[in-house]
Amino acid sequence: MLILGIESATGRVGCAIGGHEGVRASVQATRERRHAELLAPQIQAACANADVSLRDLGAVAVDVGPGLYTGLRVGVTTAITMAHALRVPMVAVSSLDLVAYPLRHAGRTITVMIDARRGEVFLARYGCLPGGVQRLSDPEVAAPDHVVSQILASDDETLVVGDGAVLYASMLDPLRGVELADPGFAHPSAESLVLLAHALAMREEFVRPDEIQPLYLRRPDAQVPRPTR
Amino acid sequence: MIACSTAAVDETRALGGAVAAVVDTGDVVVLVGDLGAGKTAFVQGFAATLGVTAPVTSPTFTLANRYEGRLVVNHLDVYRFDCPEEVNDLALPELLDDGVTLVEWGDTISSALGAEHLSVTIRFGAGDNDRSFELCSHGESWQRRADRLSAALEPWVSPC
Repeated sequence: MLILGIESATGRVGCAIGGHEGVRASVQATRERRHAELLAPQIQAACANADVSLRDLGAVAVDVGPGLYTGLRVGVTTAITMAHALRVPMVAVSSLDLVAYPLRHAGRTITVMIDARRGEVFLARYGCLPGGVQRLSDPEVAAPDHVVSQILASDDETLVVGDGAVLYASMLDPLRGVELADPGFAHPSAESLVLLAHALAMREEFVRPDEIQPLYLRRPDAQVPRPTR
Repeated sequence: MIACSTAAVDETRALGGAVAAVVDTGDVVVLVGDLGAGKTAFVQGFAATLGVTAPVTSPTFTLANRYEGRLVVNHLDVYRFDCPEEVNDLALPELLDDGVTLVEWGDTISSALGAEHLSVTIRFGAGDNDRSFELCSHGESWQRRADRLSAALEPWVSPC
């Protein structure tokens, strides 16, 4: 099954096409705030590079975050629209999973930190399993100090990764037992998305386009607006 | 809390401009007041101080306007929000980091705006153009600026 993966949860935007043979083509760019203008041409280019017509696609996968909403809404909306138009099912993957996945051979605890702005990060911890990663904690939004104390409280050798880890490197670097992953791993990639989504698609873990919801983590627990309006 | 009063729209603009003199990128100002109280006039003066030359209008139907001056000024109006989830549509974390943000009717989404903000409540006074203002600092960074803010607002401070 050929899958189109659309990834736009951080400052990077991109897409990839692949299936059982791995990734056939991918196009990505790391340019803040250019998601809307870059994504559609990227999808065209990826199709051309992979020599795939949109009609050949069996599913559309999308990174549902957490991440920056300005990027997510472009990717999630595009993915839902394409799945509707092509009448194919969708696969939803978390950005945190996507950042952890390329480091699955690290053999130690992985803490993923994605920049959430306003001095906070989205984070989750992962353990390495043969061939993959397993989430050890629920995704949460927290201040970087919280991550530091979490790491200090555990004895595990930890690899920290993500654009949040790059941003707060000076706080993390001095910690014992902590290594910062190469900044090249900082963003979720469309290639990882296609690989992970393919495994999920083989298990038929699909979602319908109308069930796709971006993962925000910050609850908008706002008061209900005044009834007098 | 600082109490101020103005007697004309131009004074409300000037008061907004005075507040702008003490702000920096990342700051949030919440504006509360009935329709016609002068929230947008406050923002116009505020934006002018920050070097915005474009016309500033109420963003009720656009939700968010963005002006480039010496700093980026984000002008939001959440009046027509029906449910809390709509806050997500504003992409607040990104907006707030990006410039100075003024939110009309922001009291309804205060939890999403964070602990650090200045709230400005505008009420109608006795005369048609009279307005009274209550400015409240929330959070450490606004407390630190309390003296500078009072000094900037000196011309309009109401006698106690």
